[in-house]
Amino acid sequence: MNLNILRIAWIAVRELLYERVFYILLCFAILALGLSLLLGQMTYIEQYKLTVDFMVSAAEISMVLFSIFAGIALFQRELTMGSVSMTLAKPISRTTFLLGKFVGQSLVQMAMVGGMLALTLLVTSAFRHPDVGAMAQTFWLIGLESIVLTSLCYFFAVNSGATTTAIISLCFFGLGHLRESITENADHGSATFQIWRVVKNLIPDLEVFNTKALASYGITISSAELGWALVYCFVCVTFFLIMSALTFNMKDIPT
Amino acid sequence: MNFTGDAISLTSVTKIFQTGVIKRKLAVEDLTFTVPRGEVVGLLGANGSGKSTTIKMILGFLKATRGEILVCGHSAEERMARSFIGYLPENPRFQRFLTAHDVMKYFGKLLGMRGDTLERRIEYLLELVTLKHVTKERVHGFSKGMTQRLALAQALLNQPPLLIFDEPMSGLDPLGRKEIRTLITRIHDEMPESTMFFSTHILADVEQVCSSVILLKQGRLKRQCTLDELLSQSDQRFELLVRNASPSLEKKYLGSAESRMSAGGIQITVQGADALAARLFEIKTDGATVAGVDSQRKSLEDELFGDTSFTPPPGVGLNAEKTT
Repeated sequence: MNLNILRIAWIAVRELLYERVFYILLCFAILALGLSLLLGQMTYIEQYKLTVDFMVSAAEISMVLFSIFAGIALFQRELTMGSVSMTLAKPISRTTFLLGKFVGQSLVQMAMVGGMLALTLLVTSAFRHPDVGAMAQTFWLIGLESIVLTSLCYFFAVNSGATTTAIISLCFFGLGHLRESITENADHGSATFQIWRVVKNLIPDLEVFNTKALASYGITISSAELGWALVYCFVCVTFFLIMSALTFNMKDIPT
Repeated sequence: MNFTGDAISLTSVTKIFQTGVIKRKLAVEDLTFTVPRGEVVGLLGANGSGKSTTIKMILGFLKATRGEILVCGHSAEERMARSFIGYLPENPRFQRFLTAHDVMKYFGKLLGMRGDTLERRIEYLLELVTLKHVTKERVHGFSKGMTQRLALAQALLNQPPLLIFDEPMSGLDPLGRKEIRTLITRIHDEMPESTMFFSTHILADVEQVCSSVILLKQGRLKRQCTLDELLSQSDQRFELLVRNASPSLEKKYLGSAESRMSAGGIQITVQGADALAARLFEIKTDGATVAGVDSQRKSLEDELFGDTSFTPPPGVGLNAEKTT
């Protein structure tokens, strides 16, 4: 691997640690602990399941927001503010810069997911012995989903402004989870459906990474399904990063 | 890092920005010039004349719509070309959490430097730009001048044969400007083989630092010449402010079109250095005092920045009477 990718990634990791990660984890911890206490008073029997459901959902939302907004802050803001000019004035390629940022952000995201898993295990162990395997799988998949979203966000960040990037990335997140439901429930004879059939193929199927409902029941998925999720993540990330790099290399950087 | 030929060579370079679906903006048109090795060359022009666009094309940040740009013999779009360049941007920004030392180490490593060589170079350069006392401080708290000096230091890390500075004195106070000017001069003295190419719209900076200039106007090359040629062709004028003049001298001056009475004394406009010397002798003989002398290169400013005089239509000027 190009060493400069790692150098840029290390700076990206430090930037995220310095500015953002701590607050996200703190918010997650406060929400998780607060809600688990509240839920504990509301119900007795389903206490464990409700807490796991809540914490897994909170982790997913936190990671989705982090992957999009940290991506915008880390990559796009550097383009608009001009700090990128000194880095790109050195003999490194734009692809190296983009990959460095992406690798740095992805490493931080996986570490955050690890932190959230540890916190969830800690909180739920107050109710009963947690299903570590099922929860680890779910959090691992949340991590993979956040990496796919980051690559998607970088692709839009190269091509558009911060607000547009955030809106489109969030739309892709929503559609990525709903694409099969939309396909099943749509009027298959309508002209709009024909358009949707084409558009659908451009949206990553994020349901591949969704095992949230299983975590609270302690059900694990097969290693084949886990492997497919990993391969699917790799394919999506590679596709979006190649597209981002191609566009970024052709783009004027006016800062 | 050796190369043959000119440090920078532009041939028929045009840059058109797509500002809308149909709208386009011509930023630079048919620009052809060369920057020879070892010279300090100023790229001079008013705001919007295409200076920054030209520099960004040389650095490969912007792609030329037409034409060819060579940097030390390599196409500006090649990554290799940038290994010859040290770049100081107009408004340098660093990651806020990094210390001055971190910044230098980061850029040094991107340049492939490491170990003791890098550390020694960092130490030397931070001392050169008088930032050694803040080596371990975060750049977050740095003033504009300190940030500019740090950016200058990182540009010198690998002793590049070509230094490109985009408006290096922009936004600095007089002291900061003087510091950067002194640094540029010192760097050129220490690295006499290096080529310096910097953009500015301040004539005084060019006069004090450059050996030759490239003048841009509205995206086109107006002229490329040595500084001496430029100055010899310009029409230098002096504004004198004279106080305590004798009645006879006052009468003589106020009778001419070049002089007028102001609150501070008599203001006299003098063309050229010889006329200035004659006037000063006259004033000294009379026993009057020279309260101030202001130098202007009128024709050069006109050439660069155009005629800025503006006569408003009747009734709409700043001094127009209010109507009810």
